[in-house]
Amino acid sequence: MFLLPPLMRFFAFLLPLAVGSPPGLRALPVGSRAASGPRRLRVVLALALCCATAFPGAGIAGAVAGTTVTRGAQAAPTPPCSASYRVDRTLPNGARWRLCWEMRNIEGLTLGRVVYTPRGGTPVSVLRSAALAQIHVPYDKGSPRFHDIGAMGYTAIPLQAADCPGGERREQFVCVTTRPRGHAYLKSDEEGSGRTAQGSDLVVFAAFQLGWYTYIVEWAFSDDGAIAPRVGATGSLAGFTTTPRHGWPIGVGSKHFEASHTHNVFWRLDFDIQGRTGDVVEQYDFTGAGTARRTIKRTVLTRETRAVNGRARWWRVVDRRIRNADRHPVSWEIENSGSAEYRGPANEAFTRADLYVTDYRSCERLATTNPAPRCAKSVDRYVNGERLTDPVLWVNVDYHHVARDEDSDPMPTHWQGFRITPRDVTARNPY
Amino acid sequence: MGRRRVVVAIVGAGAVAAAGVVLSFLPAERGPRAARAAGTAVSTPAPADPLTGAEIERAEAVASAVSRQAMSSGRVRLLYVERGDDKDPGGSGDGWEGGSSDGGHRLAEAYLYDYGTDTLTVRTVDLAGGRVVKETVSHGVQPPPSKAEELTAAELLLAHSKLGEGVRRAYALVAGGPPRSASDLGLRGLIFTPSQEEGGAATRCATHRCMRLFVRLPGGRWLDTSRIVVDLSAKKIHVLEW
Ligand SMILES: [Cu+2]
Repeated sequence: MFLLPPLMRFFAFLLPLAVGSPPGLRALPVGSRAASGPRRLRVVLALALCCATAFPGAGIAGAVAGTTVTRGAQAAPTPPCSASYRVDRTLPNGARWRLCWEMRNIEGLTLGRVVYTPRGGTPVSVLRSAALAQIHVPYDKGSPRFHDIGAMGYTAIPLQAADCPGGERREQFVCVTTRPRGHAYLKSDEEGSGRTAQGSDLVVFAAFQLGWYTYIVEWAFSDDGAIAPRVGATGSLAGFTTTPRHGWPIGVGSKHFEASHTHNVFWRLDFDIQGRTGDVVEQYDFTGAGTARRTIKRTVLTRETRAVNGRARWWRVVDRRIRNADRHPVSWEIENSGSAEYRGPANEAFTRADLYVTDYRSCERLATTNPAPRCAKSVDRYVNGERLTDPVLWVNVDYHHVARDEDSDPMPTHWQGFRITPRDVTARNPY
Repeated sequence: MGRRRVVVAIVGAGAVAAAGVVLSFLPAERGPRAARAAGTAVSTPAPADPLTGAEIERAEAVASAVSRQAMSSGRVRLLYVERGDDKDPGGSGDGWEGGSSDGGHRLAEAYLYDYGTDTLTVRTVDLAGGRVVKETVSHGVQPPPSKAEELTAAELLLAHSKLGEGVRRAYALVAGGPPRSASDLGLRGLIFTPSQEEGGAATRCATHRCMRLFVRLPGGRWLDTSRIVVDLSAKKIHVLEW
């Protein structure tokens, strides 16, 4: 009775999933490079490898991060994952990303052991594990309220060639591709000739059919060392009708008010900069609102923390043992500036912060509805004052979806995500 | 179009067994695991590789051994097996540069649910040793529904006096005839936990294993089943009011 014709929404066929990326990367015009040529760097790199342990961060390779290199004695190390699950790509500017992927039953696409090697530099490991941790979808009228991560692995969509332009498909479900991302830099010099370069990303994504929605779970690894995780919602609108107070009229006339709702996406990021020890999370604020002078304020998070966004606030994961050629500690910065910052009722306390920092615990996998026995159920409960020794970051980015006529089937993708940018990983411009 | 057929076909592939011990092994035969098992067999997986088909089978057998009886009666089901991805306490390397890569010790976590007592048991299986090395049991923790559970939920829905008839009619409208079985429907289950906003008749779902079931008809259309909750512990359907 609740089910039939009145509440049933018939949608047109879902068209093949369209991924918003242009065809594969063509030969890129690489702009003028820094003084040190690749050959010289390779020699230096080999040197660094053979005498590795002796250089804890000294300026080994001139322009690049002098990160510690593990055991020098071993020859031809075996990668942590076999070829099908391995991504190892050197982008046109020489930056190299390596990682392993896994389609887990619960979290779906999970990336692990992410290592970045700047152009001509030595490798630095960034993330031990990174995955989606929840997509919470509360409707404006109060219900329904979905926690969309079920058994994600089983909802992965087999990708067609057209879904993965210019890339390679892995075991049907994962696309690995490269795509241009516009200007890496553009500068005119005094003679007017100028210098310019185009940047590119390694992109790894999978798509999941979660009810009406198709979610594209994407990770972009840039040639400048940045990582951009994002989720695109496409497929179909749920088709829930509501009153004009909680929806927007779509279709002909003003009879069908499509229910507004929010997609609250959570990511779990286990940073391990060159191993699990030594990682520290810092929060940066700039005091002096309404005055001419601004002052930097650094807060070191020594205990598990829940934090909210601020206009100029950012965080970074820094490892002081690992230094670049300028002797500055290597770090990755979290910029979470594109969130609608949904705040739910008291029984959804996990919605009340934009970033959580917890100490690593293997049973803490999802931000809500955590499936592990003898473990807290949501990320707000993971934060219980523990001292941080191996920090895990949980980033919450929200998108308020008020449907439009343009959202008719197949619904155009709406994206939400954040950026992880290197700060002092290389001593100079990574190009 | 082709893709939808694939999805439906995948759902249909495991549908033959309606109950009994065979059911518990169904999850391994579908989804990403299916592709893996069908592909080239990786004899010795690397530390960060997903579980191989053989490893999943082994983990299922080891984790089920002590629950055989409860599983054959259908009271306990093995939901799925997930690779244990804990970091080694001393491990520091990511494995790329020849450092001490953790994960070399292959572990599998088998999720088993007891619908009679509403308890979740997770058994960690050491794949090399072929034995259970850790077991955690708890009430009130609901991991995502398995594929076999979605099918059971759809069977309960089809068996419901009013709602079942509704589903059949909707199906017949687009397919030209009623579904032969629950496996003809495209299914997607999400755990349902009652809250102040959504509860009503489904308050028993605070302890029971309950799910929302989304039903996709041939042609890709979804039924609005958002008010329907399937209680797997009580084998009942609740209808939410909001
Ligand atoms: Cu939406």
